Amino acid sequence: MAPERTGPVNAALPDLRDLDVLVIGTGAGGAPLLARLASAGLRVAALEAGVRHPPSGIATDEVAQAGLFWMDERLSAGGDPVGFGRNNSGRGVGGSTLHYTAYTPRAHPDDFTLHSDTGQGVDWPLTYADLAPYYDEVETFIGVSGPAEYPWGGERSGPYPHPPLPVNGAGLLMERACAEVGIRTSPAANAALSRPQEQEGFGLRPACSNRGFCQAGCSTGAKASLDVTFLALAEARGAVIVDGAQVVALLTEGGRVTGARFVRGGREETLHAGTVVLAAGAVETPRLLLMQGLANSSGQVGRNFMAHVGVQVWGLVDEDLRPYRGIPGGLISEDTHRIPGVIGGYLLQSLGVMPVTYATQFARGTGTWGAALTEHLRQYRHVAGINVLGDCLPYGHNYLELSAEPDARGLPKPRVHFTFGENERRMAAHAETLMRDLWARAGARDVWALPRAAHTLGTARMGHDPRGSVVDPWGRAHDTPGLWICDNSTFPSALAVNPALTQMALSLRTADALLSDLRPQQVTA
Amino acid sequence: MTSAERAAILAALNGPHVSAPTREALLARLDARYERRYFTEADFRVLRAAAVRLVPHDPDELDLTGLVDDRLHAGRTDGWRYAAAPPDGEAYRALLASLPADFAALDDCAQDDALRAAQGAHPHAFEDLLAELTEGFMAHPLTAYRFGYAGFMDVPGWQVAPDAFEEREVTYGP
Repeated sequence: MAPERTGPVNAALPDLRDLDVLVIGTGAGGAPLLARLASAGLRVAALEAGVRHPPSGIATDEVAQAGLFWMDERLSAGGDPVGFGRNNSGRGVGGSTLHYTAYTPRAHPDDFTLHSDTGQGVDWPLTYADLAPYYDEVETFIGVSGPAEYPWGGERSGPYPHPPLPVNGAGLLMERACAEVGIRTSPAANAALSRPQEQEGFGLRPACSNRGFCQAGCSTGAKASLDVTFLALAEARGAVIVDGAQVVALLTEGGRVTGARFVRGGREETLHAGTVVLAAGAVETPRLLLMQGLANSSGQVGRNFMAHVGVQVWGLVDEDLRPYRGIPGGLISEDTHRIPGVIGGYLLQSLGVMPVTYATQFARGTGTWGAALTEHLRQYRHVAGINVLGDCLPYGHNYLELSAEPDARGLPKPRVHFTFGENERRMAAHAETLMRDLWARAGARDVWALPRAAHTLGTARMGHDPRGSVVDPWGRAHDTPGLWICDNSTFPSALAVNPALTQMALSLRTADALLSDLRPQQVTA
Repeated sequence: MTSAERAAILAALNGPHVSAPTREALLARLDARYERRYFTEADFRVLRAAAVRLVPHDPDELDLTGLVDDRLHAGRTDGWRYAAAPPDGEAYRALLASLPADFAALDDCAQDDALRAAQGAHPHAFEDLLAELTEGFMAHPLTAYRFGYAGFMDVPGWQVAPDAFEEREVTYGP
């Protein structure tokens, strides 16, 4: 493993007195909001634990890119321990969008009403209609590529801004196999450009070169990670991003959050602001709050940790697919959004894969070693994958707590308990059966399945009731003035889609609420 | 690594299809060797013999055991561990201690029997070690060459259809 690459941490902090808003974290939660607030003329700054990773410094090599991930050790407990590091974490200016696959399906209207519809799970305190204008805005701004007509989900106000990206080998196999069994497919919505787009603060982002290493960082800026989109805009509009700044505590005064203490370049510093937005993700956000017993009168901080059902099925095919080419997931089906006998459902995606990721997953997932391992890996060019992304209900038995074990920075390591419920097991079994059938039809051999949990969600849920939730439906902490939370810790349920697009939409919505709190006269005018 | 292999790898890495950051990372890895600093000499010898059985390779070509030792010495982690398991270094030591003291001198069959027993007795440590060795193996430029993997030559990019190849993709490899 490579050491974290230390990009240029700007040596001295600029004058950051009299900040209106301080944002902690620059991922899909913090970045759109930062841009919105800066554009409205507020004095804003963001603290980011990681450093900058400009596209020109990104290697086409998974080991060299380890610095994109949160490598401070986390402890994984429960019946289905969740892997972190290269699976479910991010660190750097842009957060985990530096290495997300940029799948950007919208949540469906019924994802927000699971409890009303089924009596299980929870409803969101907002609807698809509340988010739709923000989905429109994000898709246009970051440049989502997708089909002219998307067959599933809620109403759209228009087509995707760019045509779909080319479908790679695994996608073509999935398309053929799905057609045989009557499952509809479509080119996926993906936030990588199929044609160039001008981006304020960054310049011209080129069309995707089909490099296929989205999950190790994009080297051209074609992928809409937040550093080349919302953060570039934020900085162009006057926001300051302080990188290499590991927050170790929130500052409080008489019960109000007034800033943050952080370590940067070995020195401890503080910043004060009128409002603090915590956007550090569903592990670091609750960790910080639990360390200080903040915003937790509901007892909900750290509770209801969720991770999507993410079973993958892999096989070897005769075709020379070269799974490193093209965006990893070019083809999608959401015909399985609701399935009988299961609460919620899943989406189905074709899967490209980088060599080290495939090799280590195969070794871990099958326990194969010796000549059998290297003989399998020799056939990497013939690997075809397919996977699902499925809803996950919130459970009392899944939670994050502080362990007694300090990390290298002296902060308690988080311990995350996670065990799929009966519903997720039924969903995963349904998905595996379907995908094995599809891959048999595609002519795959040596087929194997990797049970997997993806994304970190929950742990500071939003809701109307301060007794049962940490923040209100816009992100204000119920019980702690001066504090807002804007990241996927606030998800009350997991949704049956990848979370990044929804998180960006929520971030803009939170920014609008924050602006109306700070400038009530503008709202009434 | 034969001189022909080395020449082909260097030609690719120094060629026009590899970006500067990729070239830097892979050139540094090609001949990387590590001094033993974490394990005792006895443990290291067992680890190296086990590594060769787990992920067959020539330690003179790929210093996978040194890579593990170097990581533990530097205190780097991969971001998580099973809560039920001790820290990586302790877990690996316990795994090695479960193997016969003369493991390195055993024949292949006896070594594999001992490793199978260790896989059952120390599943988490075994899985972590196997994954770590596999990563070192798969990420090495020599493995890429021998497997005909050209993905690192990504400039200016790829076509994606299964029957559409760039010449550098088809010709790279033995």
